Amino acid sequence: MTAEGALLIAGGISWTVIVTLCAFGLGAALGVPICAMHVSRSRVLHGLAVVLIVILRSVPPIVWIFLLYFGIGSGWLSIGPVPAAIVALGVITAANMAEIYRGALKSIHPGQWDASHALGLSAWSEFKDVMVPQLFRVTLPSATTYLIGLLKDSAIASTIGVMEITYLAGYLASKQFGAALQIFAFAGALYILISLPLAAVARVADARLRAKVAQ
Amino acid sequence: MEQTAEARPIVEVSGLGKSFGAHRVLEGIDFSMRAGEVVAIIGPSGSGKSTLLRCLNQLEQHDEGVIDICGIRLQAGTPPPRKDMNDLRRSAGMVFQSFNLFPHMTVLRNISLPQERVLGRSRAQADERSRALLERVGLAAKADQYPARCSGGQQQRIAIARALALDPRIMLFDEPTSALDPEIGLEVLAVMQELAEAGMSMIVVTHEMHFAETVSDRVILMADGRILEEGPSAEVMRRPKAARARQFLQAVLNR
Repeated sequence: MTAEGALLIAGGISWTVIVTLCAFGLGAALGVPICAMHVSRSRVLHGLAVVLIVILRSVPPIVWIFLLYFGIGSGWLSIGPVPAAIVALGVITAANMAEIYRGALKSIHPGQWDASHALGLSAWSEFKDVMVPQLFRVTLPSATTYLIGLLKDSAIASTIGVMEITYLAGYLASKQFGAALQIFAFAGALYILISLPLAAVARVADARLRAKVAQ
Repeated sequence: MEQTAEARPIVEVSGLGKSFGAHRVLEGIDFSMRAGEVVAIIGPSGSGKSTLLRCLNQLEQHDEGVIDICGIRLQAGTPPPRKDMNDLRRSAGMVFQSFNLFPHMTVLRNISLPQERVLGRSRAQADERSRALLERVGLAAKADQYPARCSGGQQQRIAIARALALDPRIMLFDEPTSALDPEIGLEVLAVMQELAEAGMSMIVVTHEMHFAETVSDRVILMADGRILEEGPSAEVMRRPKAARARQFLQAVLNR
């Protein structure tokens, strides 16, 4: 593999990162209302959330991407490959984040609600001052694990022509068939290089947050 | 001023009842207290003491009867308007068995945040009041620590300061020393005694018999969701009339 080849593949880093981060952001945000529906007292909302989570998690990501890009995209709504990949991965992330949030909610001592109510905090203040900071601490490790998994899943965006790392590696390999091993090994190394700092930042943040509240 | 406030009961409960599903936890509870009084509620576990306390500030909704507290009327079955609810939470401070400090905030933030959010005080005003209260409970040096770095007794004193910071008219204590070593519990009881002497209206659910007898003006003895005995502390504790009350007091006083 030539230096130009390496540069070509490295040029895909930006789309890989953009698709991953946007899908994660979308999912982290959409996960909140889905989680809220799941723990809601309303049976209808709860049922809706359960069905939504099952559907979103059971269908493979690649099927979601095809469904969005070829299915909806070719019909009554035009959608480009990048938005299609972001939305498809984003809604799957939403279902998973909703479950991560729900698990974290259970870890919060019920006395925290008692105290918030007894002090007369508004629902909004209870959410933003008491709940979210504690949820953030609890969800950080599992959310990071999911984010790194998502980084790798973003490779399937190559199937609909998003020019990210895997797509460009595949393109190059089809041109230089003999170098396929090096090309894909290089692509793999790039994924490792991106995920290492993610994991490191999360670990440092987690350790700092823990140190503050540790005995 | 003081006289007129004391003329009217600060708490008046009549016909209070509460069930969890088929289980009847409170039945026909009637009592009243004047401002400045300290009332201890004692009785065996599961007698409904904590539920009664939690009904008073509506952490639990009662199913029957009327609660009049700090001029707010709470009728069973009709959810109070939001304004009344806010007034209630502001007027009644509560201290829990498990402290329930916010673990992700410093001690100072724990006490200042509710003042800012509920009373609309500025950060500077709130912090000033918080530091004064920390001084009062003997923990001025802990302001910038996180709760996990404080002992149970310290956490409970911080929780008391947090409740006092909202200038409540009455303080509700739900077994404030039950999660503490007997020795550590004393520092919390000392703060409560100081509070009582300063004239705060207090209802204390407790297993601390000495506190009930010496600090509180009156004792209410509950069992099986009812009030068995009620009256001046020494009288109830030393000369109980009901057989069930005698049995309980014998068990806790002669150990």
